[in-house]
Amino acid sequence: MASRDLRGSPRSAPRRHGAAAPKDGSDLLSPRFRSAAELAGWDEESVLAAMVVEDTPVRESRRKRRASTSSAGGSAGSSTRKRRPRRQFPAKIPPVVLALDDEDDKTDTAEDGKSEVKATKEEEKVVLVGDKEASGSGEKAAATGNMPCMDRLREELSCAICLEICFEPTTTPCGHSFCMKCLRHAAAKCGKRCPKCRQLISNSRSCTINTVLWNTIQLLFPSEVEARKSSTSSPSPCGKDVNRSPLRANRFSQGGTGMRTRARSSSSFITEGRTRSSYRTFLEPGSTTRTNTSANFISTHGNTRSSNSRSRGFVSASQLLLPRSTVGSEQSEDAALAYRLQQEEFMNAFEEPEQERQTRNAVSTARDTLREIASRAIRLRAARGWPV
Amino acid sequence: MSSSSFPNSRFPFGAGARAPGGSGGGGGSSVRPWGSSGGTSVSSSGKRIQKELLDLNASDCSAGPKGDNLYHWLSTIIGPQGSPYEGGVFFLDIVFPPDYPFKPPMVTFKTRIYHCNIDSTGKVHLDILKDGWSPAFTISKVLLAIKDIISNPDPYTPLVMNISRQYLTDRAKHDEIAAEWTMRFAR
Repeated sequence: MASRDLRGSPRSAPRRHGAAAPKDGSDLLSPRFRSAAELAGWDEESVLAAMVVEDTPVRESRRKRRASTSSAGGSAGSSTRKRRPRRQFPAKIPPVVLALDDEDDKTDTAEDGKSEVKATKEEEKVVLVGDKEASGSGEKAAATGNMPCMDRLREELSCAICLEICFEPTTTPCGHSFCMKCLRHAAAKCGKRCPKCRQLISNSRSCTINTVLWNTIQLLFPSEVEARKSSTSSPSPCGKDVNRSPLRANRFSQGGTGMRTRARSSSSFITEGRTRSSYRTFLEPGSTTRTNTSANFISTHGNTRSSNSRSRGFVSASQLLLPRSTVGSEQSEDAALAYRLQQEEFMNAFEEPEQERQTRNAVSTARDTLREIASRAIRLRAARGWPV
Repeated sequence: MSSSSFPNSRFPFGAGARAPGGSGGGGGSSVRPWGSSGGTSVSSSGKRIQKELLDLNASDCSAGPKGDNLYHWLSTIIGPQGSPYEGGVFFLDIVFPPDYPFKPPMVTFKTRIYHCNIDSTGKVHLDILKDGWSPAFTISKVLLAIKDIISNPDPYTPLVMNISRQYLTDRAKHDEIAAEWTMRFAR
């Protein structure tokens, strides 16, 4: 128990949740044993790993595996894959098995003993857990930013040609990844061979972006990607828009400033389309069928989704809501409801710009009231004949 | 043999005596200073060279810009242990072309060395500095390759025929002369 509390760092909490949940039930022994064994197995592995010198091949291969899982699996699917090696260990600790099967108290004593033995190793373990978590879910790593494995990840995810974090990486048929631009330059100037292994690369494959890798990089290194994006500021091909939209939302919730240029370039077209479609519903309120409004809703929804990086889009949507609600028909109410829901979604997704606007409003209103008070005082003084 | 192959002057490569490698195409005139607003390739090559410089500081290789020109470096290589060049310090001149990562840097020895793959002007015969170049190479890897070719000469693709022939037929004599040259020029 003590050990479990000790390792209860916020980062390791979500991963342990699955193992800790059945503890509250009545038939606890086997799941608890499993979790304890898992703990023990994990301990042994981590301790082994921590004792190995930094640059030995074992450690190296572990790092590679980590990087590959992070690049291949995203966040959710890779966690199960990662847990598998730990499950191989429970067989190595038979004494704990006996103790756990007898009584409840013994489990505690056994775990206490374990924790005493491993008290010195707790810190290393926590660090290693942090490693695994960082490679598994990039948002946490990006949030903390100073994980011990970040340097290694940076090394792994950097382009061999420009030596920076891969920007829009493409993967060659031989499995090496470079920035798309770098690889194109290399192909143009040095021949169509992989810069790393000299294998021939075909043109068609070399210009598709490895989306998984690119998304991972954007999650792990948002600041680098944005710096690069703003420095290049060249419009990228539209084909990747679909892959990028969730990430864009994520980046904006993190307070990033990228993507401004692209969003703005398409903004005028989007608002135009939205107003036109909403006017149609407004002008023919009686004749609109349900399908029509729903289609309208979908189209406007899509529009706002694609332009949701601007807070202005949200404002105009709410303004458009007003004439719609004055029309008494059911369909417009539905549309209004849809808009309201959408609005709430936006509130949740983009709290920061919302707050910003509110504060700005508050400041402006305060300024107005102050000005009014001052002018009223001046008027009063003037009316009573006092020197202004 | 040894007396005839000795150079006359002790320092054949006086400071700035001539353009290294003879060609000078990428160096000298066409190399722009690193802050200049040239094409995108120039700035990106500058960025990459800067990055390599930062990475080099961490490793054991010693190399760096000669003056304020980022595209012109000076490097030193310590003679590898166990080779006849042991104990020598060899200076190398590195000139980066404007489109650097895609074209190899020009590396020339400024210190004389008795080596079948390095001629009297300091030109290095190394595959990766010519056709075998890949943009994934960095200057530290190039220096590593040069270190390797110093300790393991390749007599089958020689630049100096006499030395390669001697290396194949009379290895002891070759090593003796190489050590002598190292003592004489690289100390």
